[in-house]
Amino acid sequence: MHKSKKQSTHLPLFILVGVVLFILSNFIEELRVSQGTTIAVYVIAISSIILLTGYSGQVSLGHGALMAIGAYAAAVLRLEFNLPIILCFVAAVLAAAIGGLLLGMAAARLSGPYLAGTTLALAIGLPSLANQFPILGGEQGREFKVGPPDFEPEVVAAAEPLTFFGNVLSILDKLQTTLATGAWPGASPMSTYKWWFWIAALAALISMWTVRNILNSAYGRSWRAGRGNEVAAQLAGINTARSKVLAFTISAGIAGLAGALLAMSIGTVSPSAFPLALSFSLLTGAVLAGITTLGGVIIGSVILVAIPEIADVVAHRLGSSESVTTNLPGLIVSGLLILTVLFVPNGPVEQHRARKAKHEAAHSSTKK
Amino acid sequence: MKALQRRTLLAATAVLATVGLAATAIPAQAAEVGVTATQIKLGMTLPLTGTASLGYNKIPGAAKAYFDYLNANGGINGRKINLVVKDDRYVPTEAVSKTNELILKDKVMALLAPLGTANVKAVASSVNPARRGVPVLFVNTGFSGFADTKKYPTTYTVLPSYIMEAKIMGQYIKEKFAGKKIGLLYQDDDFGTDALAGFKTAGVNFAVRVPYASGSQSAAAAAGWITKFKAAEADVVILFGVSSATSAMLGTAAQLGYKPQWMLGSVGGDATTIKLTGVPAGVLRGAIGFSPVPATTDMNDEYVKFFSDIYAKAVPGSAFDLNVLLGMNSAFMAAQALKAAGPNPTRKSLMAAIDSKGATFANSALVPLGYSKTSHVGLTGYWVGEYSVTGDLSPIGGTYVTYTTDSGSGAVVKSTYKRPAMPAKGLPN
Amino acid sequence: MQLLNTLLIGITAGSIYSLMAIAFVLVWRSTRVVNFAQAGMALLSTYFGYEAVSRLGSFWIALPVAMIGGAIFAALVELILMRLLVKHASSGPIAGVAPIIATLGLLGVIKSVVTMIWGGQDLRIVAPISNNGFTINGETLVFSPLKLLVLVVVMVLLIMLSILFQKTNLGLALRASAHAPEIARLSGVRVDAVRTLGWALAGAAGAVAGLFQTVNGNGNFSPDSIEFSLLLVSGFIAAVIGGLDSLLGAVLGGLFLGISISFVLMYVSSGLFFIAPFVILLIVLFVRPQGIIGVKAGRRA
Repeated sequence: MHKSKKQSTHLPLFILVGVVLFILSNFIEELRVSQGTTIAVYVIAISSIILLTGYSGQVSLGHGALMAIGAYAAAVLRLEFNLPIILCFVAAVLAAAIGGLLLGMAAARLSGPYLAGTTLALAIGLPSLANQFPILGGEQGREFKVGPPDFEPEVVAAAEPLTFFGNVLSILDKLQTTLATGAWPGASPMSTYKWWFWIAALAALISMWTVRNILNSAYGRSWRAGRGNEVAAQLAGINTARSKVLAFTISAGIAGLAGALLAMSIGTVSPSAFPLALSFSLLTGAVLAGITTLGGVIIGSVILVAIPEIADVVAHRLGSSESVTTNLPGLIVSGLLILTVLFVPNGPVEQHRARKAKHEAAHSSTKK
Repeated sequence: MKALQRRTLLAATAVLATVGLAATAIPAQAAEVGVTATQIKLGMTLPLTGTASLGYNKIPGAAKAYFDYLNANGGINGRKINLVVKDDRYVPTEAVSKTNELILKDKVMALLAPLGTANVKAVASSVNPARRGVPVLFVNTGFSGFADTKKYPTTYTVLPSYIMEAKIMGQYIKEKFAGKKIGLLYQDDDFGTDALAGFKTAGVNFAVRVPYASGSQSAAAAAGWITKFKAAEADVVILFGVSSATSAMLGTAAQLGYKPQWMLGSVGGDATTIKLTGVPAGVLRGAIGFSPVPATTDMNDEYVKFFSDIYAKAVPGSAFDLNVLLGMNSAFMAAQALKAAGPNPTRKSLMAAIDSKGATFANSALVPLGYSKTSHVGLTGYWVGEYSVTGDLSPIGGTYVTYTTDSGSGAVVKSTYKRPAMPAKGLPN
Repeated sequence: MQLLNTLLIGITAGSIYSLMAIAFVLVWRSTRVVNFAQAGMALLSTYFGYEAVSRLGSFWIALPVAMIGGAIFAALVELILMRLLVKHASSGPIAGVAPIIATLGLLGVIKSVVTMIWGGQDLRIVAPISNNGFTINGETLVFSPLKLLVLVVVMVLLIMLSILFQKTNLGLALRASAHAPEIARLSGVRVDAVRTLGWALAGAAGAVAGLFQTVNGNGNFSPDSIEFSLLLVSGFIAAVIGGLDSLLGAVLGGLFLGISISFVLMYVSSGLFFIAPFVILLIVLFVRPQGIIGVKAGRRA
């Protein structure tokens, strides 16, 4: 792990990506912007799994429930106390982190399958609490409105989508004009989705940057040491129990942020928005990303969002029956999950890196 | 240096991936989104897979069965109706993203019969069909809030609200079962909370109330419910839940020889669905039932006969149950609304048509529709019946007794509504 | 009466959790894997049973057919999926979570494929014997011949498996392979074959659970029926309460869970169905981390 020696925090890179995303958001279709928000939410949530599972070696099948804690905290504070949005998000992080701390303390006594089972039971049980406390709004949930200030009505015009390359070319074209003139020719009008995308993307960049630097810090190293060999880590003076609880707390806080953003993107918070399937898809995303590859979260998130569309296309090509069509997305996700674990267990990025390293090693040894 | 390069590469890949997904919009000239010279596109999201899909997954087939019939008989002024259906798995996040696709990618003219209070609320709050001017026709839930035209200006409800139902049930209890001990089984969420509010308005006091968590209903759970009702010595037991709860309750009651006076809410009271789960018809006998539409087994009813014939041809082997009837009824009403919206229907003219003529739309329900310029309330009441020897809900003494009311504190009144005769061949006129 | 019925409801529910917990324990003992696809396998076996009932007309023939079908499927899963897993993903950071992820994936695959084949609608298997409650002094109990049968089947399975494990050479091999695979291998035990057998036994137990769960309800089942996800969670929690390693513990854990949920629903609130198992599990884990009958080593697998 040569990267851990580097002290650089790569701040300029994150800022650059942010600027690019901002410019892009002004030129792409509204539907894609809204999907971009979903991707950003997944990026945050999956990075919390990577921190927890990939680095600290703990499994959670209940991160959906932690997202729910964050979402409810944000929504209730917004509705009951009219807190500023930014504070709602901060509260979401804190509330979920406290939940994670408690769970992590239980988790420190458990491991492997026990932890998986406990978190699984949490994922099933927690959302049903919404019906026990009127303030949480029951099954229909409560509203969570995060601006923006009212814009002109969004009128949808009938249009023919361009091809992939057509898209790329036309966007590059517009970018060029923008850079040359400083104007925004053809920039799309302001919309709610754009506003939400900016918030979600900014949050994703901040949390990715934070997670990245935590993982490269002494904490990150102690997690990796504990994951590799707990006894050795303890001998080296690492309090593995405390270090695990810490990992759970941080991971939960990040999940809470993702939950609040998810609630923002659907304008409401309700128990059915946090089903068991959500917890499972986060794990799927993390595995597809490569369980130890933070940068891979983008791959994992894009795949999760794209699969239903891909399945749709496949089903139509095959002209298959209705029951096949509706169940194809589920089959693809699950199948992909198994295949990844079996054949690319550490994720595509890590796999590529390992192969390259092997190749280079072979190369240098022949030179000798 | 190397690490930085790799990261930049990664970032670039990510950006490119996003660009690839993007598609810029070029506005084209069209009379109205989703309407061409030959077709009208409508969109629907509902659970096709997942635990909540059972029963509801028959609705798209039912609606399509009617639209196919309509299209084969000339469509709406020559335009064929194209219904695009997407699976939301009963998850608000999915409902939002699928509705986004329907509106932004498939460019439907209107949304038809979306399902689930949480889903419809999430869509209203984030996709905001109202601001986009997209009509949301005939929301498939009994939540009374969607009739609020200030908050949901383009949304139209169709089912009577749970509050209306509980008020009417309460009125009936006061008339027929005064002084008896009443027990209530209800779902431990908004479905049940609305019911409790309605019963309170009607002034019903319960000897015992048994809530159940949605999804926990099973024969094993029902044994527990019955034990509670028995301990409280309830004379009349109201089942105000979904049909799986009704089935579990009645099936288990048969095994335990438990025979109170049953009273079934409309959501879980469809005899076809209950009997398909193996509940003996005899158990239903003598139970009181409430419904806005005729019994799905009543083949003397012209609508039921017409719809079930079409459905049997379109989806052979599938039982004609309440979900199918309601799905076809919504499609039927949508067809009339589109026809009434003029030779070149627009979103605006569609909604104007419902506002001005909606109350007179022919449909299978035996209670009046409440649409007007100021109200988006659909059906406004129920008829009361008794389940027969064969387990079919039929009017007591052969004539339909219907009650109407509102979702507020308005009185429950007996209605004199006469359902309009079915248009010729079941086509909108 | 209410008290007795509450107890009986708990015992009936618990006996089915026990069957599922037995399946979890068998897989755990043979391969140190918690099989989250267990409920999916039970579902698939129930479809095997359904096909057998509709073709052959008898529940009593369908039961062994489903058990054999379930056993073969589970054996195949071990032979193909689990062995590949050991080969490719038994080292590195993924190793700890790989089996959990693979079995969750398998659960999804089974569910999707089953729905594609049999459709999403309810199918029905009729109970072989009466499910009408016994009557004592004019009071009908929440206990029927069928529920008694379920209980008997659980006990018979428990006794048979115990004999198999304790008294036969095969049982010795099973135990040795789980606890000390290397020594077992050196002593001439075909560890791989024994592991496959452990999965097959679990598959058969899961099939029994699936079929009885179905007929003990109203006989209906579908790929999405809530019963099967409950079976997964309750069976797993029961196994954990029982210590995950002990067959007797699995049965006691199942009964304990069933009875405590029944009492909570009856005397606290019937709306607490989904949160009750979690709370019960947490209490057990904190009060008695090694389970009811668990080795003292604790929960560090």
